[in-house]
Amino acid sequence: MYQPWTVKYKPKSLKEVVGNKEAIQKFVDWVKSWNEGIPEKRAAFIYGPPGVGKTVTVEALANDFKMELVEKNASDYRTEEAVKRFAGLASQYGSLFGTRRIILFDELDGLTGTADKGGVKAMVDVIKTAQCPIVLIANNAFDPRFAVLRSYCLLIEFKKPSVTEVLKHLKAICLKEGIDAEENALKFIAQRSEGDIRSAVTDLQALAQGKKRLTYDDVSWLGFRDRQENIFTVLRMILYGKTCDGAKRAVNMADVDVDMLFEWIYENVPNHFTDPHDLARAMDALSMADVYRGRIKRTQDWGFIRYVIDYMTAGVAMARVNTKTSGWTPFHFPERIQALSKSKEERSIQLEIGKKIKRKCHISATRASKEILPYLRIIFKNNVEMAAGIAKWLDLTPEMVEYVAESKEKAAAINKLLG
Amino acid sequence: MSFEMWAEKYRPKTLDEMVDQKEIVERLKSFVKAKNVPHCIFAGPPGTGKTTAALCLARDLYGENYREYIMELNASDERGIDVVRETVKTFARVRSIGEVPFKIMILDEADNMTADAQQALRRTMERYTETCRFILCANYSGKIIEPIQSRCAPFRFTYLPREEHDKYLRYIAENEGVNLLDEGLDAIYEVCGGDLRRAINTLQAAASLSKPIDAKVVYSIAGRANPADVRKMIDVAMKGNFIEARKQLREMIQKYGVAGSDIIRQIHTEIFKLDIPEPWKIKLADIVGEIDYRLVEGADEEVQLSALLAKLVEAAYEMRGSTKKV
Repeated sequence: MYQPWTVKYKPKSLKEVVGNKEAIQKFVDWVKSWNEGIPEKRAAFIYGPPGVGKTVTVEALANDFKMELVEKNASDYRTEEAVKRFAGLASQYGSLFGTRRIILFDELDGLTGTADKGGVKAMVDVIKTAQCPIVLIANNAFDPRFAVLRSYCLLIEFKKPSVTEVLKHLKAICLKEGIDAEENALKFIAQRSEGDIRSAVTDLQALAQGKKRLTYDDVSWLGFRDRQENIFTVLRMILYGKTCDGAKRAVNMADVDVDMLFEWIYENVPNHFTDPHDLARAMDALSMADVYRGRIKRTQDWGFIRYVIDYMTAGVAMARVNTKTSGWTPFHFPERIQALSKSKEERSIQLEIGKKIKRKCHISATRASKEILPYLRIIFKNNVEMAAGIAKWLDLTPEMVEYVAESKEKAAAINKLLG
Repeated sequence: MSFEMWAEKYRPKTLDEMVDQKEIVERLKSFVKAKNVPHCIFAGPPGTGKTTAALCLARDLYGENYREYIMELNASDERGIDVVRETVKTFARVRSIGEVPFKIMILDEADNMTADAQQALRRTMERYTETCRFILCANYSGKIIEPIQSRCAPFRFTYLPREEHDKYLRYIAENEGVNLLDEGLDAIYEVCGGDLRRAINTLQAAASLSKPIDAKVVYSIAGRANPADVRKMIDVAMKGNFIEARKQLREMIQKYGVAGSDIIRQIHTEIFKLDIPEPWKIKLADIVGEIDYRLVEGADEEVQLSALLAKLVEAAYEMRGSTKKV
């Protein structure tokens, strides 16, 4: 049976809720304060971005404290009448069966002007006389519509949980599902979700359900999922365009910027232009497009972008003379972008080392990491004493030494000499 | 054996110590004598002594405390207009208090400055001529805008002649107690093509292996320091496998950070070693030259070089066609 993992692994208890520990504590303290009489603020207004666990927190609390949760969300009408029907419930501290009650108005952002007419005002009235905790949830508590409402509420902000926290949650799910997942695959999902746990879990399920292993390659294309359909259409218009205008028009349809579109075209040209003459012509067009990019860079005159576009679209389309258009060839995600982001960390330490070299060797950091670093690598691998001397002379940190030596043992030996 | 970078240790300190670029050195010495230096452009390939000459000139002019009178700025790292507006201007306009009434600003890799920054520099050079002289070091003087060129005395640096190159490396080897064999020296020259910085780095890396330095060691160092197996990449392209060739190119650039200009220089060398009909070699050289020029103009080295690979695929295809007909 298909069950969304967001439901299956929804936290049952507050302990299981990911992140926002302080906000949750504030909320718990407030609910507990009802035991000593009605607090100053009879309602709590929980707000924050989607998917960070606002509703889940209220549900888990009700579960932990054995409270009856009465919930209204955007799918219900929230006119004055509808809200007032709650007034009766809200005026009692406990329910008929002796359990305490908590009333939740979820998805307040969904209140519409006319359909939920008077809803906010009615809510204020209910809160004024409430005998049990009332919880409001919205993404944006600072919407002008809620101005009056806010003053009656304890404001509790939910923030995006960190990547580490999301990652922990994903790991726990994989463990329970018996999936052997690569750390960086899960990290990619976690990062992409930008703190939206719900979407992270949804993504994880879409990619991993029924699998034994989840690798980075399985997930790396994910970031562009929403855009995939669009970019394929655009690429088809360009790579198989019959007229210059048609190919050029594709740029306006693309929801990626010109540089990213260039990457897509550059990646896919070879597979779609198999005749050597066509391929050479198409690549030549991209080369000319790039020349104009260089001219933009140098002159800072963005007007040249039109020639970049001419070459990368029409120029490529017109390269097709011999290659037949029959048959279906898949499109690939620009591999270069992936590789670039993977080596980002590496490049940053390279540059730091470059800066150290620059200070001593009268050469730019950029060139130092290209022209001097390779020699240092060889020296660090072969001659611990010389390496230590150079490391000291350049004032390299132990991490830098390890990066240059490309081996933990060698680095340890060198660092030992350095003292 | 000393444990610092030899290329720095053996960098000449005074103009007298400079082994080559005789004419240039003579002119610079006359500047020192007159205690007057015009704005200069030092143009020439890497490792030919441009920065060294600028530093030596400064030391001869100001003495041991020369560092107080000069500023070294690297345009590859700081090439924006803001740098010219802030850093350069601040340095240039403050008068120096010494025998020499001006300071020297060394702008290294100046051909990497943006056009805007160069325009800003032009005014700065003019306005503060009395208090500051500029030395612009560049690989290609053509990348420096005309108005600046016309304000500067040009100096063209060339690769060291073979004898000077050998003398210098032998001197270092002797001083460091390294056994540098003749064939090793030949190999260094072949691999580094007169780029002295690279030659000294190669020598030091080879010395770190603590063996006599023969040709084999040098080639292996060069191979490892320069993981660009350009020949293999060309062969793959000539067999018609563009995608694989581009993959190898990407690895050279991204993983090992090999500069596009180095790759294309090696491609150019390899073209003439290929087993193809002689007339084709010159056709290919023309293609390489065109892309080399675009490399200077363009924004993305991989795109330019892969366009070259596509041309090689095409050329090889045509060659196969023409031999079949015969």
